[in-house]
Amino acid sequence: MPQTRRGLSSPFVGNIYLELTEQFNAGRLRAIISSGQAVVLHRLAIMSKDGDWILWEDVETMSHILDVLAKSGAHYRFGAPLDVRWMAGGWSAHFEFRTGSLRIRTDFVTRPPRLDDASLAELWKLDPKKPVLGLTALAEIKKTNREKDYAVIGELARLMKSPREQLLYSRSARDLLALTQAHPELASELSDQRPLLRETVAGQARLEEALDAERRTLIHANEQRLARYREASKAWATAWSGVEKEIGNLSLAAAHEIVVARALALLPFAP
Amino acid sequence: METQRDEFLSEEDLDLRDLSEAELIAYWNLWLKQAQASNELDEKTYSHGVFETAPD
Repeated sequence: MPQTRRGLSSPFVGNIYLELTEQFNAGRLRAIISSGQAVVLHRLAIMSKDGDWILWEDVETMSHILDVLAKSGAHYRFGAPLDVRWMAGGWSAHFEFRTGSLRIRTDFVTRPPRLDDASLAELWKLDPKKPVLGLTALAEIKKTNREKDYAVIGELARLMKSPREQLLYSRSARDLLALTQAHPELASELSDQRPLLRETVAGQARLEEALDAERRTLIHANEQRLARYREASKAWATAWSGVEKEIGNLSLAAAHEIVVARALALLPFAP
Repeated sequence: METQRDEFLSEEDLDLRDLSEAELIAYWNLWLKQAQASNELDEKTYSHGVFETAPD
C-alpha cells in the first residue's frame, strides 16, 4: 500500500484502465468499467489491481476489444473465449499484458451476475463519456463471496440518492433503523424484496443478526453459482496447459482462433 | 451529542473524495505500482468473473 497520499503533485497523468476504456469505446459505447475500478471512480476505495468491464454483447464488440488487446501485447489467461456464444452463457474471458512495471489483467463479461435483462439493458443508457457502472448495479455485482465486498456495498448505499435504493442496499443497522423510521410505508412495501426490513421493529441487535445472515446467504449463493461454472469447465481446465502451449508464440488473433476451436469441443456455451 | 455510525471503510479510503481528479489518478497509479509486489502470490487467482483459479 502507498505510504501516504498527501502531497501528491497534480500534473495530468494517465491511467491504464481509463486509457483502455477509451480505446474500447472508440466510435461507440462497448465497455463499461465495473467492479474494483468502478469503486475507485466512485471514490470509495482502491482495492483491486485488475480491470473488469461489462461488454456489449455483439460480434463487433468482441472483435474490437481483441484488436485493442492485441495492440497492447495481451495474451489469453485461462478462461472462456471472448466470443458471444460463451459470453451469453455468463462466462468470463481473461487477458494479461505488461506495461512498464505493471502487470495488467483485463476481465470481461457481458452477463454480469445478479442483473436481470431489464437492469442490463438499463446499463447501456449511461453517459458514454462516463462509462462507469452505476451504484445499484455495482452493489449487485459486489454481492460476491468475499467479505470485503459487503463493506463496499455499505458505502455504496450511502452514496445512493433515493431512500428506496438505500433501504434495499444499506448494510448498516443504524442507517436502516433511521430510514424505516423516516419512510415506514416504503420500508413495508420493500420488505417482500428484502425480508430483513421486517426486523427493524425488533431493534438494532436483531437487525444486525439479520444483516449477518443475509450476507452469509448471499455469499453461499455466489459460491453455488461459481461451483456450477467450475464443474462445467473441468474438461477445459484439464486441457488448458496444452492449449496454452499451442498459443504461446502466436498473435492474439491467431491464438483466439485456436482457443475458440478447442473450446468448442470442451467448454459448453452455458454451464 | 455525537451520533454513532457504522463504519465500513477506513478514513483513508473515504478520503479519496477529497482528492482532485489528477490527485486521484496519481494515487491510483501509485497504488497499482506498489500492488505489483503481490503478483507472484496471485499469479493463478482471479479477481472477477466465473473462474477462481487457473489450472496447474
